[in-house]
Amino acid sequence: MSTDTDTTVIARTVVRVVVPVILLTAVALLLQGHNLPGGGFIAGVLTVTAFALVYIVFGREFLQRELLHVDDDGFLGGSIGEYGRTFTFGLALAASSGLAAIVVGELFAGGRYEFITQGVWFVYHVPVYHEIEIPTALFFDLGVYFVVVGALLTILAVVGRE
Amino acid sequence: MTPTALSTVFTAIPLQASAQSPNTQFVIAVVLGLLFAIGTFLVLRRDVVRVVWGIAIISQATNMYLVTMGGIAGSVPILAHGATPDPATVSNPLVQALVLTAIVIGFGTTAFALVLTYRVYEEHGTIDLAELGAAPPESGVSAMTDSSIDGPEATGDGEPVTDDDGDTDRHGGPAGSTEVADD
Amino acid sequence: MTDLVVAPLLVALFTAIATLPLRSAQRVQQAVSVFGGVLYLVAVAALVRAVRVDADGYLVYELSNWEAPFGITLVADDLSVLMLGLAAVVSLAALVFSVRGIPEVGQRISYHPLYHLMVVGITGSFLTADVFNLFVWFEVMLMSSYVLVVFYSGPDETRAALHYAFLNLLGSAVMLLAIGGLYATTGTLNMADMAEYLATVPASQTTPVLGLSALLFAVFALKAGIVPFQFWVPDAYRAAPAPVAAMLAGVVKKVGVYAIVRLLFTVFSVAALPPGLFGENATFLAFYGPVLLVMAIGSVVVGGLGAVGREDLDGLLAYSSIGQVGFIVLPLAVAASAVPGAGAEIPREGLVTLGITAALVYSVNHGLAKSLLFFVSGALSRTLGTVRFDALGGVSERNPTLAGSFFVGALALIGIPPLSGFFGKLLVFDVGAQAGSTVVLAVALAGAILTIAYFTLAWSRGFWGPPSDAVAGASVDRSFVLVAAVLAVSIVVLGVGFGPLYDLSYAGAQAATETQGYVDAVLGGSQ
Repeated sequence: MSTDTDTTVIARTVVRVVVPVILLTAVALLLQGHNLPGGGFIAGVLTVTAFALVYIVFGREFLQRELLHVDDDGFLGGSIGEYGRTFTFGLALAASSGLAAIVVGELFAGGRYEFITQGVWFVYHVPVYHEIEIPTALFFDLGVYFVVVGALLTILAVVGRE
Repeated sequence: MTPTALSTVFTAIPLQASAQSPNTQFVIAVVLGLLFAIGTFLVLRRDVVRVVWGIAIISQATNMYLVTMGGIAGSVPILAHGATPDPATVSNPLVQALVLTAIVIGFGTTAFALVLTYRVYEEHGTIDLAELGAAPPESGVSAMTDSSIDGPEATGDGEPVTDDDGDTDRHGGPAGSTEVADD
Repeated sequence: MTDLVVAPLLVALFTAIATLPLRSAQRVQQAVSVFGGVLYLVAVAALVRAVRVDADGYLVYELSNWEAPFGITLVADDLSVLMLGLAAVVSLAALVFSVRGIPEVGQRISYHPLYHLMVVGITGSFLTADVFNLFVWFEVMLMSSYVLVVFYSGPDETRAALHYAFLNLLGSAVMLLAIGGLYATTGTLNMADMAEYLATVPASQTTPVLGLSALLFAVFALKAGIVPFQFWVPDAYRAAPAPVAAMLAGVVKKVGVYAIVRLLFTVFSVAALPPGLFGENATFLAFYGPVLLVMAIGSVVVGGLGAVGREDLDGLLAYSSIGQVGFIVLPLAVAASAVPGAGAEIPREGLVTLGITAALVYSVNHGLAKSLLFFVSGALSRTLGTVRFDALGGVSERNPTLAGSFFVGALALIGIPPLSGFFGKLLVFDVGAQAGSTVVLAVALAGAILTIAYFTLAWSRGFWGPPSDAVAGASVDRSFVLVAAVLAVSIVVLGVGFGPLYDLSYAGAQAATETQGYVDAVLGGSQ
């Protein structure tokens, strides 16, 4: 188990600088994933990479108590249960984003939309960005993001605990 | 476009590629061969961790092979910011989509295999396949029944898997890794 | 109405998701899980009805509204729905069995979500018309099954579970290689599109496709556990808890069989072999015929002999699975190598259809009977803690219903009228006789004798006679007996009213061989 004494000042300073950059990159990849390289999977992996850096340098206690605000005790009640719920939420979101096409199709288009049919909204006259593209694929990506984050954090927690 | 016409278009792409870059092809073929050789060598080792590495390397080699199957010439097939490149100059994007899927699956399986290795080490104190085989299952008992009877279930109902109970480690493992499998 | 195609998939997927957050409320989770299983059966029944009655044999669903061959297409035809029906019945039975058959702590650790995800993978594999998508569904199915086999087995069986997982991981890599190669050579991943393309390729250029299809075939044979790819079967089945073993033997194995039938008979059957290898006008089937025959003979012999020597019930059933899958492959081999006018009494098309029909009937029979037997074995192992024959004995006296169910399952696999297995065996023999092949008949006869031998052994050592000490003091949970009895009754009913099963299997066999119909159905929408 890594503790504070294992790491140097350099490592801690670097992590302090690097982690926000990683998280920002992850968000950027998540948002552009529908038509540029990126997406929920890689964004999730990057996010967990940031957490893993914190974990290695500052220790598991710090990551769970201070950063993620989850309890370490208990099995399904504590951190692992929390990550499991993240995972479940992500899976439900991703699957529902596919199902939404059928539902919308049945309601408004006479059943013309198949499972996981995608669409896109354009929001115009937005300051700075001028126009924003909101694809339905974003919800799927978001779901995948939560699945990956939940699953990887669970592994970190379970393996790290032993 | 009829499907057959589509087929001819798609088959034309690798042929084009082969005309353009014989050297790249040669290098990739050699690298692929090396990767498969290394992977096979590792899979045949007795150490479970090495076997996992071998499988990971083989699946990465497979992914690389898959990319080359769509042709390796041409530019990045991304349509962004209003730019529409000439379809003849970009490489086939389908194989790249396939590889992305395969990478995600490979990621899940590798994570699973590593957690599995960890559990093997915990249970048997070794990761040597030959030593694992030294005590073959002779009982014929479905072991799940065993562990349920004198396992954690007997220790209490409310929170059966606790941190200090030595017997529960193998049940602690699956909670993590089962999630991975769903990726 | 076409939404029905995706309905079983969605039901299983959302049941998996719904059971995930319910891990702390176990009774609710079990209820939701079983309800999901019932709903799955209903969805499949509706799909069967839609395909058989309302549509003319094909229901095509273009996922995400992408036209074939660009997008992923799901196709429900008679072959797919037959397999789905088997999957629905066995998976519901296994689910009900799991409620008491899997220890509570095991169920709490994601058993139900994983189980339903495995069903998702199985459903997708039966429905998809895209080769890469087939790979993805295989992975969904296998990933869940790795966890179900590995983590729900004890430390003793970890090595077997490791073998199962690693072998299938390597198999997946090989499958990916084959798919990549097929895409490079045929330019498509859609099965219908591929078939259409292969039909136009001159025989001199099909050699690469033949090699790649053989790679693919090897992977499917690995999943189906056909000799020489059978070595993981006994250990994995013994390691897996009873409901999972029932699913592996009853359904997951059939996914391999289905993939072989679909790819060989629907897609690759239209591709011409290079001349000089198997004479003029030969198709890929001419190459696979002898291969299948050798593998079938190997399976029947290895499985049968292996089962006779077992000392425990689980091991006997596992080896029996290898032998029985040989009986499924045997008529397929005859169908593949059927050539016009070579001593056959009926026309080639008739023999091909008959062969596949026999394989399908046998698959359904084996799926039901073998899962029933695994349930009985699981009930005994859960009650007694062992299924070794020297600890068993006299179960028929202690619990006649359970023993009777085992008896029915065993008779169904042996092939006694009026059980469904009788018609399965009869059709296999019929195929051999129609083809005029003494080899096939001899192998089928030897296999039948071996089947009788090992089930007689199992019956006399495990179920007959005075109750052993362990058996006398045990009482089997009622839900186990119920599941086994219901399956036993369904086997009897299927055998007595054999007509519908035969019709559906025959229609499935026709769907498997009618490449043009498949191509028209899948690609018709885009033109």
